[in-house]
Amino acid sequence: MNTSRSPIALRTYYFVLILLLYLPIALLFLFSVNSNASLSFPINQLTLDWYRQLFDADAVLRSARNSLIVALGSSLAATVLGTMVSILLLRYKFRGQSILVGLAVLPLIVPYVVLGVALLILFSALQIDRSLWTIGIAHTVVALPYTLLIIASRLAGFDPGIEEAAMDLGADYPTTLRRVVVPMIFPAMVSAWLTAFTVSFDEFALALFLSGTQPTFPVYLFSQLRFANRLPIMIALAVLLMLGTLTLVFIAERFRQREV
Amino acid sequence: MTTTPSRPSDTFPQVHRIWGKAGWGLDRRATFWLICLPPLFWLAAFLVMPVLFMALFSFRPDMRGDLFQSWTPTINQYASIASTGSYWRLLGISSLTALGIGGMAVILAYPLAYFLVFHGGSRTAFYLILLLIPFWTSYLLRIMAWKILLGTEGVINSFLIYVGFIQEPLTALLYNRTAVILTLIYVWIPFAALPILAALQRIDRVLFEAAADLGARPYHQFTRVTLPLSAPGVLAAFFMVFIPTVGEYVTPLLVGGSRGFLYGNIIQDFFTKAANWPLGSALSMIMLAATLVLVLLAARLIDWRQLFE
Amino acid sequence: MQPKRSMLFVAEGLTLALALILSACGAAAPATEVPPGELTGSLTVLDWAGYDVEDFWVDFKNTYPNVSVNFEIGSSDADIYGKMKAGDQADVFHVYTGWLQFYVDEGLVEEIDTSKLSNWDKVPDHFKKIGQLNGKQYFIPWDWGFTSILYRTDKVPEGVNSWAALMDPKFAGHVSMWDDGPGAVTVSSYIHGYDETAITADQLAAVKDEWIAQRDLNLFYWAGEPELVEGMKSGDVWVAYAWQGAYALLLGEGVPVAYANPKEGRNSWVGVYGIRKGTENYDLALKFLDTKLAEATGNNVVNMYYYGHSNQDVMNGITDETLKQAFSVDDPEILNKTNFTPNLTAEQRDAWTAMWAEVKAAP
Repeated sequence: MNTSRSPIALRTYYFVLILLLYLPIALLFLFSVNSNASLSFPINQLTLDWYRQLFDADAVLRSARNSLIVALGSSLAATVLGTMVSILLLRYKFRGQSILVGLAVLPLIVPYVVLGVALLILFSALQIDRSLWTIGIAHTVVALPYTLLIIASRLAGFDPGIEEAAMDLGADYPTTLRRVVVPMIFPAMVSAWLTAFTVSFDEFALALFLSGTQPTFPVYLFSQLRFANRLPIMIALAVLLMLGTLTLVFIAERFRQREV
Repeated sequence: MTTTPSRPSDTFPQVHRIWGKAGWGLDRRATFWLICLPPLFWLAAFLVMPVLFMALFSFRPDMRGDLFQSWTPTINQYASIASTGSYWRLLGISSLTALGIGGMAVILAYPLAYFLVFHGGSRTAFYLILLLIPFWTSYLLRIMAWKILLGTEGVINSFLIYVGFIQEPLTALLYNRTAVILTLIYVWIPFAALPILAALQRIDRVLFEAAADLGARPYHQFTRVTLPLSAPGVLAAFFMVFIPTVGEYVTPLLVGGSRGFLYGNIIQDFFTKAANWPLGSALSMIMLAATLVLVLLAARLIDWRQLFE
Repeated sequence: MQPKRSMLFVAEGLTLALALILSACGAAAPATEVPPGELTGSLTVLDWAGYDVEDFWVDFKNTYPNVSVNFEIGSSDADIYGKMKAGDQADVFHVYTGWLQFYVDEGLVEEIDTSKLSNWDKVPDHFKKIGQLNGKQYFIPWDWGFTSILYRTDKVPEGVNSWAALMDPKFAGHVSMWDDGPGAVTVSSYIHGYDETAITADQLAAVKDEWIAQRDLNLFYWAGEPELVEGMKSGDVWVAYAWQGAYALLLGEGVPVAYANPKEGRNSWVGVYGIRKGTENYDLALKFLDTKLAEATGNNVVNMYYYGHSNQDVMNGITDETLKQAFSVDDPEILNKTNFTPNLTAEQRDAWTAMWAEVKAAP
C-alpha cells in the first residue's frame, strides 16, 4: 500500500474524528479561562485566576500525582502479566488453557461497581487498608484483558521457530524470551502499556470504592462536583494535564522526525 | 514444539557460559512455572476470590450483623429478582444496546485503524497517541462539556436556530437513551481501533502484491484479503466494547435522563444508594451469568485461537 | 554504724517521699492535659465529598495544629453505611437524618460524652434531639438545611405552593427530582398525607406507580447540586426538588428563582457526626466534634456552601440577605411548618430503595 497517497476520505474521516474528540476539550479550555464560576456561557471575562489558584490547591495537585502513580504502577504490572499470559497461551499447550483465557478476560464482564465492592469486601476481610495499592491492584486486574489481547495478537504472528533456533544455539528459555521474544513483541507491549495506562488514569468507578485517604484525580473531581464553585480549578488542572501530554507528544514527534 | 530442547551445556559447552547464567539455564518446562505463577496468583487472589465473595454475598438474607460472620444461605434475593419483570427486561435492553454499540463502534473504528496502518506511515504512532490523549483528560468533564454543546441553550441548538434550521431548540439531543448510545459509541471508537490496528499491522504486505499480481482491484484486495485477515482483530474489538458496555452505568447517569438507565445503574444503586449488598450481588451474578453465556456461545462459534492466529 | 543506718533511713524516707510525690504527679497527670498546641496524634474522618476542605474544620486545625487529620470519602449515606459495616477504621463519620438508626442497631457508633463538648450548649434542643436515639446521645448535629421546591419565577409566574408541582403535567420535561428512593416516598407522603413512619405495602405500590408516571415529566434525576444548578440556570429545569444551597447559589448568580413554602410544609434534613465504636481515638474524636460546632467552622459552612449550622450563634449572626431568605431566618414559624426526616428502619430502607430501583427499571 502506498503510504504517500492517502485517500481524501480516510484522511478527512480521521481528522473529523479528532475534531469531535477535541471539541469538548477546547470547550473546557475556554471555560477554564472564563471568570464565570459555573460551566456555562456566556464568556464573561478572560482570566488566568483559576490556574493561579490551582497552584495553591495542594489537594488537587496531589490527586493528580496519585492518579499518575497508580496508572504507572498498574499499567506496568498489567503489561508484564499480559505478556506472561500471552506466552502461556501461545507457546505452551496444557489442559486448562481455556480456563486461563476465561479468567484473564473475566474482568471485562464483571461490572466495575461489582468488582469494586467485591475487592472492598476482600480487603476488609483481610484487614488491608484502602490505599493507592488497592486501587492499583484493581486497575491491574481490569487492564489485563486489554494487554493480553494486544500482546497476544502480536505474538501470534511470529513463528515459534525463531525461538527454537535460539534455543538450539544454546540459549535457555528465559534468555530466549528476554532476547528474542520480547524485542519482537515490544511494539505491542508499548501499545498495551499505553492502553493500560489510559484505562487506569481516568478510572473512576473502582477508585471510588477503593480509595483510602488519597484520592485519585477523577475521585477528587467527582467530590468537587458536589460544590460548583470548586469546579473551575479542576477544569484548569484537566486542561493543564492535557496540554502537558500534548506538548510531550509533539516534542517526541519532533525528535523522531529529526532522527529520520 | 514437540522436541524438548537439550540443555545448552550439552551441545555447546562454551555457549553455556555466555547464555546459561543469564536465564538460570532453565528449559521451557521449568520456565513454565516461572511464567505461570504470577498471573495465576494475581487472578486467583484479586479476581476469583472477590467474585466468590460476591457470589456468597448474594445468598445473604440482609445486611444485618457483622458482615463476615457466617449466615444461613437463602435464595430470597434471587426470588425477589425473579418476581420483578422490569429487571429482566432492562437486562435484555442493556444487552441489545451494548450489542448495537459494539457493532457501530467497530464499524466506525475500522476506517480509523485502516488509515493509521496503511496511510499513517512514520506518523502512525503520533496519530495514534493523538487519538488517545483525550482519554487522559477527565471523562466526567468531557461529558459535561458535551452536555453544554448539546443542551437546549448549547452551541449546536444556538447555531441551528441562528441559521434558521429550527425554531425551537431540539430537546432530543440529551437526556434519553439515544444520547447514551451516541455518547458510548463516541467514547469507544478510539479504543475499538486498537485491536483492529494490531490485526491490520500483522497482515503481510506481500499478500497485497500477490493479490494485485493476480489481477485483484483495490476493492477486491480489501474485501478478499484485508477484511478477512483482520477479522480476528475486529472480533476482539467487538467483544472489548460489547462486554463492558452491558454493565455501563456512568454514561446513563450523565446523559440518560430519567429513561436512559441501564442494568448497570440498578446494580450500582443497590450498592451506593440502598446499601443492599446482597441484592446488588445477586443482580451482578445474574448479569455475569448472562454475559458468560453469551461469551461461551461466541467461543463455540469462533475458535478463540483464531483471534490470535 | 549508727550514721550509716540513719543515712539509710533518710535515704529510704527520701525515696519513699519521692515515690509518693511522683505517683501523686502521675495520678494528677490526666488532670493537667497536654496543651492543645502540643497535642499530637492522627484522626481519620469518613466524610462526604467536598467536606474535607480545611474551612470545614478550621477550628480544629487552629486549636490542635499538630494533629493530622485524614479524610476518606464516601459518596452517599448508603456508601458510608456500607463502608462502616465493612470495617472501615475511620474514627469519625458523617451521615444524615434517615440513616441513623442502623448505626445504633448494628453497634457501629459510640455514645457521645456531651459533657466534654464546650460548644454543646450553643446547639438548640431540637437539634440535640436529632442525634439522640434509644435515649442516648449518639450523634452531634452539624449541618442542616431545607428541602423544598425550587422554581424559576419567569417560567412559573403563578408560583408553586404544593409538593404536587413535581407531578404536574404542566411542567412536562422541565421537572427534576433528586435521585433518591426514600426522598421520593417522603414527597408522596406529603402530597397524600401518608404517615411517613408507617407506609403500608399498598401505599408503597401506589408511590411506585406515581413516580413511574412522573418519569414522563422528569427531565433528569439530579445526584449533586451542580447538576441541578446548571439545569435551572439554562432554563431546562423549571421546577425541582432542591436543598436551599442550590437556591442561594442561583439567587447569587441573578437567576430568577424562588424557594417554595408548600402547604404541606417544607422538609428539613440534618447532617450529624458520630464516633465509630471501638475507636482508640475517642478523646481526639470528641475534640474534633467539639471544634466542628465552633463559630469559625460554622460561619464557613453557612457562607461558603449555604448550608445551615447547628450552632445557634452562627445562625443568628447571618447578615447576607440572600442567605437570610434561603434559611427563612426572619420567619419564626418556619420550624413549626417543617417536617423533619424520620429515621428509617432497615426494612423500610430496603423496601423504599427497591421501589426506586423498580421505578428506574420500568419500561
